Amino acid sequence: MTAAIAFMRRLRGALESGVELPVALSSAAAGLPRASRAKVERAVERLGGDYEEDEWGFDEEFTEAAFPFFEFMYDRWWRTRAKGVNNVPGHGRALLVANHAGVVPWDATMIGVALLRNHPLPRYPRFLVLNWAFELPYASVLLRKLGGVPASQHNARHLLEEDQLVAVFPEGVKGAGKDYSQRYRLQRFGRGGYVELAIATGAPLVPVAVVGSEEIYPKLGENRLLARLSGAPYFPLTPLFPWLGPLGAMPLPSKWRIEFCEAIPTAHYGADRANDQRLVLELSERVQETIQQKLYENLVERGAAFV
Amino acid sequence: MAGRRVLITGVSTHLGAQAALRLEQDPEIEHLIGIDSVPPTAPLKRMEFIQADIREPEMLSILPETRVDMVIHNNILRRPRQGMSPQAAHDINVIGTLQLLTACEHADTIKAIVVRGSAGIYGAEPSAPQFFTEEMARLYASRTRFQRDVSEIEAYFENYARRRPDVICTMLRYQPAIGTVLNTQVTRYLAMPVLPTFLGFDPRLQFVHQHDGLEALVAAVKNPVRGAVNVASAGTIGLTRMVRLARKPSLPLPSGLFGSVVDAGRRVGLESLSDDFRRLLRYGRAVDLRRLTEEVGYRPRYTTTSALVEYLAMVRGELAPMHETAA
Repeated sequence: MTAAIAFMRRLRGALESGVELPVALSSAAAGLPRASRAKVERAVERLGGDYEEDEWGFDEEFTEAAFPFFEFMYDRWWRTRAKGVNNVPGHGRALLVANHAGVVPWDATMIGVALLRNHPLPRYPRFLVLNWAFELPYASVLLRKLGGVPASQHNARHLLEEDQLVAVFPEGVKGAGKDYSQRYRLQRFGRGGYVELAIATGAPLVPVAVVGSEEIYPKLGENRLLARLSGAPYFPLTPLFPWLGPLGAMPLPSKWRIEFCEAIPTAHYGADRANDQRLVLELSERVQETIQQKLYENLVERGAAFV
Repeated sequence: MAGRRVLITGVSTHLGAQAALRLEQDPEIEHLIGIDSVPPTAPLKRMEFIQADIREPEMLSILPETRVDMVIHNNILRRPRQGMSPQAAHDINVIGTLQLLTACEHADTIKAIVVRGSAGIYGAEPSAPQFFTEEMARLYASRTRFQRDVSEIEAYFENYARRRPDVICTMLRYQPAIGTVLNTQVTRYLAMPVLPTFLGFDPRLQFVHQHDGLEALVAAVKNPVRGAVNVASAGTIGLTRMVRLARKPSLPLPSGLFGSVVDAGRRVGLESLSDDFRRLLRYGRAVDLRRLTEEVGYRPRYTTTSALVEYLAMVRGELAPMHETAA
């Protein structure tokens, strides 16, 4: 604590004497313990532009730095348990398909934490995010840095062709904007575009059931006028939002279960059959039923939502 | 294909002169003809210069007489020149292209046309594909005048290609260029004392290094392919990182204020930013390069990041400028 105060004092002194921020930061860091000094020095390097993002804007270093916070949410806030992580291939392309709730992609990040912590060959999944989020200041930057990508067939295909692990939420806005009373009842999975994609790229489909995410923002109603004014697909009214302002965006501490189901291989169909509407609908149905069934199982197993 | 006769428009522009100098060195090209409304200042030795305005109907008589087998259309303005009205730039881009194409219809020696077009046709959109492939033009409505111009120009060429299937039409879609011998929107932006940005946005940007831009054109001249081809250096860079690498202060502005602040800056003598560039600064844009590498056969030597790092080092005088293109 005293070290931190001394650090702030030196920083202010340096800034007042007219040095630039990066120089001031590194000179003020001199008195800190080694670990914190390394962190400050690294931050200075980032201010100088010395950091890497991949061509999608994913910033691994940033995500790692944010990881302790996500782990806190995973362990303490939501007391998450994950099952079946080994159903996710350790390398190569694969498409994770999960149920969805809420515009804030907590479910995508928690799936990521579950994989990184429990998988023998951990890797960050990339996730497709509702396009609307990329029109928003800050949110668009944050989402990209964490591995989010605007939802489109083109992007998903490109990522899979790069042999990435991609998470999609085919319920889309319908899933995110459903009422609290409709929780864990899967909405229609679009037109099965994600299945076409999996067949076209030969990526296995891994259904993922997420229990808990649908209680964090219990949507009781919505406001059409505010939705139109803000350009949002819907404007939710929850017990906390918008009444508490930004604080209302705090997710409720429900108990979470994440189950990765057995992978459905698609490579043996061949890319040509991506246009086979019957096969696509059949597989989509199978994925949807698997998730729905696992949702019910895990709901029973979890018991009460919040305690 | 030895002994080729090639005509290039817009040779007095920076890029046109660079391209002409480079094509003069190509032994396959027997005769090089350059057209522009003002004489070029570059030390061109082999090139025959014809002074003409491509907007004028005189092109109809000039072009067939040259008996060229390839036309390189390099007279599409990214932005009105100093003191030029937007209307005049639109005329040069759209009417000039139309006039040139009409002239090409009357020249039966022509086997291929290569156009130095723009990736501006894709626009810059929040939910756009991360990498535009060539068939994704016109996914969104045109939002700027330049985007509409490029779209019209491409429509003319598509029409022409349909009417004359014996002529190969290559539409090169260039990302904004960067390089020490160039004066482009990007280099002018980086030269500003303070770099205006959109508050809370960090778009993915992609540029083409002058070397890659030139060599891609040369590769397309050697090996013209039908249809559109994206041209850029590989990969993307975030605007925030670019500003930090430039070691310049940024001025993050809320989107509602951006326009008025930048316009006020222009009135006090700062650089103005085109509508297209403003949209790039907000949403960014990148293109897919598989067609360029696999079909045209040119693999970019630079990445967007390395192009930018090299450019910034040269501007600061830490690296000697290269003269390979001007040799």
